[in-house]
Amino acid sequence: MLQKKEISNKEMVEDTFTLIESNKHLNAFVTLNKEESLKKAENLDNNPSNLALSGIPIAQKDLFCTKDLRTTCGSNMLSSFIPPYSATVIENLESAGCISIGKTNMDEFAMGSSNETSFFGNVENPWGEGLVPGGSSGGSASAVAAGIVAGATGTDTGGSIRQPASLCGITGLKPTYGRISRWGMIAFASSLDQAGPMARTAEDCALMLNEMCSHDPKDTTSLDENVPDFTQNLNSSIKGMKIGLVKEFDLSKLDNDVVKVFEESKRHYESLGAEFIEISLPNISLSVPTYYVVAPAECSSNLSRFDGVKFGRRCENPKDLEDLYVRSRSEGFGDEVKRRILIGSYVLSAGFYDAYYKKAQQVRRLIKNDFVSAFEKVDVIMSPTTRGTAFKAGSMGSDPIQMYLEDLFTIPANLAGLPAMSVPNGIVDNKPLGMQLIGNFLEESKILQVAHSFQSSTDWHLKTPNGDIS
Amino acid sequence: MDKKTVRTIAHLSRLSFDEKNEEKITNDLNNIIKFVDQLNDAETSNIEPLTSPLEKTARTRPDKVTAENRKEAFIKNAPSSNEDYILVPRVVE
Repeated sequence: MLQKKEISNKEMVEDTFTLIESNKHLNAFVTLNKEESLKKAENLDNNPSNLALSGIPIAQKDLFCTKDLRTTCGSNMLSSFIPPYSATVIENLESAGCISIGKTNMDEFAMGSSNETSFFGNVENPWGEGLVPGGSSGGSASAVAAGIVAGATGTDTGGSIRQPASLCGITGLKPTYGRISRWGMIAFASSLDQAGPMARTAEDCALMLNEMCSHDPKDTTSLDENVPDFTQNLNSSIKGMKIGLVKEFDLSKLDNDVVKVFEESKRHYESLGAEFIEISLPNISLSVPTYYVVAPAECSSNLSRFDGVKFGRRCENPKDLEDLYVRSRSEGFGDEVKRRILIGSYVLSAGFYDAYYKKAQQVRRLIKNDFVSAFEKVDVIMSPTTRGTAFKAGSMGSDPIQMYLEDLFTIPANLAGLPAMSVPNGIVDNKPLGMQLIGNFLEESKILQVAHSFQSSTDWHLKTPNGDIS
Repeated sequence: MDKKTVRTIAHLSRLSFDEKNEEKITNDLNNIIKFVDQLNDAETSNIEPLTSPLEKTARTRPDKVTAENRKEAFIKNAPSSNEDYILVPRVVE
């Protein structure tokens, strides 16, 4: 529409803010960037550009630093933090013409799978009252699912793009570790964190990914690899493509309807000429325990920077420096964040380091090796993204492990650093569901191709809570 | 993990919580540790730990100043400051 000039850039941005207002109950946004967005849009109307994403309104997860725009990471600790610089990925998208219309709500410091740990309150899933959107990129998923924006940014440490994409019926991609610069992304677990696009379709994800990826000398783990045009292979046939099914993923424990959706997608791929091959990832069952040692360990050291001194929240009237540290942190962090910091400190402490942290890193290598062998036999690996559809807020009870198991299918790709995406593939009880495609190292194009071939011949990605998109 | 251990790691983490929550936190941590104890099932002798999926050493760069001095922009975010300095409670009497 923008390209055909059926609508001006300013009208597009105004419409976006009208949609944000009418969807206020979703609580998808923490901070809006209205004035600046309108200014940019007007500027584009007066000086049209032919940048790839010129004038496209994008919602940014509130974990990316945005210059002069409040960045909270869903935490009281950063509730009034205004970064003096923008993350590289934000700069990349804005240089491509995107308009950052606001910052989306998220689980505090990206720790959660239901968006129930945000200091700024729960996010609603537009598919039903009281349903969680998943997490931690819940605000971004909800905003795309509700049709407020065509695309949003997310981050994925153990499934935080793919799981909410699945529960909200949208497409989300976590690239290969190192594809997108982490500079300016507030760190949770540095060896697992990766930013990625969330959008309606694989094609839109590819368009965003084209702009998000870059080699960044400011991030020492940024890959210095050629960034292909991710849209180039989208329409290639998947005939003869070998899709792996993980023997160890026991689908019999899932609801019948969920399994039925997965089986239907398999049959659809067979009709497109793909071949299914059973593969074994013998150590995959240890993924979640491995993650819950590695991620808290890295989080406890990353979050030690929040000490109430240089930036972020400081307690009132500290009696000495120690009191300042302890009270600023205890008041600034929520329960889940504290729990993970404590676990991290425990597994890193003298006497336990070898038993937990080193052990987990060894198992992490076994899991990675499993994938290396598997990809000698197949092009991509397919599984459900989640155990089921969106659940009710509060329904996971007070046992944190139940929530941790929500990321059962998504965590392995983070441990191995592989690209993976979630693609809508069915509806159960009026709630969407996604399937996961995991690709080999740097093979985002291939999973996008496999996803696009599905979306070119099905309409699950066009289903929204407000009806089908024609 | 007993309450004493929890208090020690809380101190290491510079976190505190009231007694009411201590019980719940101890309980949660014990459950999580029990859960991750499954790792003992894996045979890992002679397996090199994997710290990052890239397994590359960090790049080095020439030792040149590349960033500009933006002291004012950064000090604005300090909860308490005095011109050039970030203020904290007195450390040395």
